[in-house]
Amino acid sequence: MGGGAGAAIALGGGFWKWSQFPPAERSNGPGVERWIPTVCGQCTGGCGILVRVIDGWAVNIAGNPLHPVNRGTLCPKGIAGLQGLYDPDRIRTPLKRIGKRGEGRYQPITWEEALHLVSESLKDLRQKGEAHHLVVLGGRYRGLMRSLWDRFLNSFGSPNYIDNQFRWEEPPVEGLFLTQGIDSLPAYDIENAQYILSFGSGILESPWSPVQMLRGYGHFRRGRPGIRGRLVQIESRLSFTGIKADEWVPLQPGTEGILALGIAHMIIKEGLYHNEFISGQTFGFESWTGPDGREHLGFKEFVLSEYEPTVVSKRTGVPIDQLIRLAREFSSSQPSLAIGYRDRPFHQMAVAILNGLMGNIDVSGGVLIPRSIPYQSLPPLKEDAIAQRGNSQKRIDEGKGISVNHPYLFAGNTLSRKPYKPKVLFLYYTNPLFSNPDPGLFSKALQEIPLVVSFSPYMDDSAQLSDLILPDHTPLERWQDDPFFLNSGFPVLGIRQPVIPPLYRTKATGDFLLALTRSLGGQIQKAFPWNDFKEVMMVSLKGVFEAKRGDTFGLQFDEAWTRLLQRGGWSVPSYKNFEEFSKLLLEKGGWWDPVYDFGERDRVFRTPSRKFEFYSQGWKKARSSSSGEWKDSSFLPHWEESKETGNEKEYPFHLHVFRTMSLTGGRNANQPWLQAMAGQHLFEKWKTWVEINPVTAKRMSISDGEWVWVESPRGKVRVKARLYKGAMPDVVSIPFGQGHSSGGRWSKGLGQNPYRLIGDDLDPITGYPIHGTTRVKIYKA
Amino acid sequence: MHKWGMVIDLDRCSGCQTCMAACHAENNIAIIGPEESAMGRTIHWIELLPFIEGEYPHIKARLLPRPCMHCEHPPCIKVCPVGATYTNEEGIVGIVYSRCIGCRYCTTACPYTVRSFNWYEPQWPKEMKGSLNRDVSIRRKGVVEKCSFCHHRLLKAREMAKSEKRELLSEDYIPACVQACPSNAMYFGDLNDPFSTVSILSRERRAFKLLEDLGTEPKVIYLSEGM
Repeated sequence: MGGGAGAAIALGGGFWKWSQFPPAERSNGPGVERWIPTVCGQCTGGCGILVRVIDGWAVNIAGNPLHPVNRGTLCPKGIAGLQGLYDPDRIRTPLKRIGKRGEGRYQPITWEEALHLVSESLKDLRQKGEAHHLVVLGGRYRGLMRSLWDRFLNSFGSPNYIDNQFRWEEPPVEGLFLTQGIDSLPAYDIENAQYILSFGSGILESPWSPVQMLRGYGHFRRGRPGIRGRLVQIESRLSFTGIKADEWVPLQPGTEGILALGIAHMIIKEGLYHNEFISGQTFGFESWTGPDGREHLGFKEFVLSEYEPTVVSKRTGVPIDQLIRLAREFSSSQPSLAIGYRDRPFHQMAVAILNGLMGNIDVSGGVLIPRSIPYQSLPPLKEDAIAQRGNSQKRIDEGKGISVNHPYLFAGNTLSRKPYKPKVLFLYYTNPLFSNPDPGLFSKALQEIPLVVSFSPYMDDSAQLSDLILPDHTPLERWQDDPFFLNSGFPVLGIRQPVIPPLYRTKATGDFLLALTRSLGGQIQKAFPWNDFKEVMMVSLKGVFEAKRGDTFGLQFDEAWTRLLQRGGWSVPSYKNFEEFSKLLLEKGGWWDPVYDFGERDRVFRTPSRKFEFYSQGWKKARSSSSGEWKDSSFLPHWEESKETGNEKEYPFHLHVFRTMSLTGGRNANQPWLQAMAGQHLFEKWKTWVEINPVTAKRMSISDGEWVWVESPRGKVRVKARLYKGAMPDVVSIPFGQGHSSGGRWSKGLGQNPYRLIGDDLDPITGYPIHGTTRVKIYKA
Repeated sequence: MHKWGMVIDLDRCSGCQTCMAACHAENNIAIIGPEESAMGRTIHWIELLPFIEGEYPHIKARLLPRPCMHCEHPPCIKVCPVGATYTNEEGIVGIVYSRCIGCRYCTTACPYTVRSFNWYEPQWPKEMKGSLNRDVSIRRKGVVEKCSFCHHRLLKAREMAKSEKRELLSEDYIPACVQACPSNAMYFGDLNDPFSTVSILSRERRAFKLLEDLGTEPKVIYLSEGM
């Protein structure tokens, strides 16, 4: 043991440096360490974390071993949460703009002044009968904050809550709606799958719940004795997922959808599909006759006639024999999963129906539909006359169809003042000036709105154009609920609690909203009888307690025990009353229900036919109100050729924008640990690069590391050229995440945002720009 | 006596770089900004290395997390003129920062390039200082640093075992990277115990070591991808 003591001095030499650590505000006595469970807020992955707190300082973050989403492990973003908390350039008090918009001159104000300013302008809106001119643009977060916003707008009198989520970080939800009628997220049971065919889905670098997906991946590969899952990545660039996959299938950008149809064609042609599932639980596979006696085209006939391998191979660049082999592998290695990204809805549907063809819906190793968390709903509210009038107005983005939220139309309509111009805009957890293609459009729209209020804790690109910044606490300083689910479909409820008192004069937006209702008075105040957000949370959690299902988090052994009892109709949770329940929730980090009920068809298929639909009747219904002739093929999964931005002659390359593990979502550029590993496959950090195929680069005499301009018809960016063997000869790729026009020392002015190159060719259903249609040219800078 | 070793299963590894971030947080590794990074002065105790071979479209690519190998015969020790780096009896290769004169012979001698040099005094904004890990010292300008297998955790675990009046178990001690790894690709334990997970895995058919022919005998063992 003497060696150990010697090494103590050696390896830990220089303990005197301790005295340097904490600034004067806090004592530096012998530290008492505590590990406080909470939920990570770096992305919406829902991981449980333990924060090591010493003398009021959060000094490290580890995974919470009891939390079923991550079981004690983390991703790089989770660890860097500390740097989000201690970002020296955080906004420390409410700010009021004094210079011109975008000039960045602000004056600190008190929270009382801030509340007064906001409530006066809102009162003014209501007095003029313009309550619906209040718009809330909300980003990606979960839980009761959303219910609170909806309730607030409802009692205030505005129909305008607009979701502006970072689209490409999400599972393909539109495909799920078209086939299963569900508008929430699916769970992919990758742990139990044998074969995964990923259509451009960044499952290993930018999945919607990174740690869970990576844990699943480890299990998929080697967690089952004698079984090793096979992964095939179809993508226009050799991504990390492509590197780790058994096979990388390069294809023309944006053509994943037609490849899926080609594979469906081969599966049907060779009769490899799941007969029993197709005949019993699907609609629209064979041709059918409607109640009005009209003949309708079935998917089988349609896909056999339209998507011959020769056609598909020509469009995608994937050789015919490879396509046929993929179809055979996919159908013979059961259970298999096809996972896409949020491509255009009917392309997502083309990927989703592959799972339907193999019957891998609501089965182990397939697509699962998690049950929701049994919250107690908030009491009904009374709308006053002004609110009723406001709520009956048209939404500003005129949202309809499967996706009611059209942030692009909101921005466009703000500029055209049709149907009306917003007067007050709240930005909550969203940065449209950065995380959307065509950021210029949003910048122009924001300039038009008289009062823009941002709740961002950081001076992000959009906050910089705001009139008022009312900084929220960062996730480690506030209360929040986090309803989520596992890959296995089990519902999970994580509880986020403050691990240290707020560092600065910030305020939880939920608490501010409640204060705002009190200041507005009347029916609005009556609709919010709670003191703070924590109280709202505790009221809602009563429903979870009373559901008599599940348990607070426990060890894996407890999980099996809970499940066994619950299957037998028992519920023996570790708590007896609500007080015990809420205490345990905070100690363990949350609640879950480790059971998935297979075969509840009403839950799994919410389409008009209560079946898996090859022919989307739900979409047909949504469309029926609008005029125009509709062909049968408009409701079947089909390929939609997208218009390209830029012609081939002038702009010889396709542009592919990709995401990396560290900077996914564009929220984390202020964290140096993540910046330092942004492009590890090329040792790139702190900047933006463009990946070019070495042969192509040689032809253009561009050498590795040279600075080049990448120009599209929409704009140009100056980036570092990197020769990458995993780049296709006619595709150049730029990572997303850098290029903030505002922010702190570690994000502002570093790198470039490739979204400035992307066009505004909107998909008519989702209202979002279409991915993979932009062409660019490259020349030396 | 324990002999600490690590096994990294490349088939489970997803290349997510959590090990790198976890290491930075645990070991107070300096923040190297954009300008210094461009000069190649970044410090990573564990780093994900890419190996991309072939020509499009026939590419074979691999990603390999690389900590210090804690060799049985470390070339770095032989070249150190001041005895600042050494192996302790449990096989961990350590550095005495106060002895290091910054000659960087060791960074050159290490065939795995795991050693980094502090080109300047590591600095943190004052708002961040309190969040540094108090179990690990901050380095000074002009010294070399590298992975220590989170040796401070071993000291802590040993103290804990002593206070509980029991022997140290190998489960008591685990480096930060292994703890954080989401796909459970990393294992850590006692290579002297023939029944430990790392020993069993190190005898697997897929097991290999980096640059084995140099005779350094690394204590980090990799398991190759595929069946």
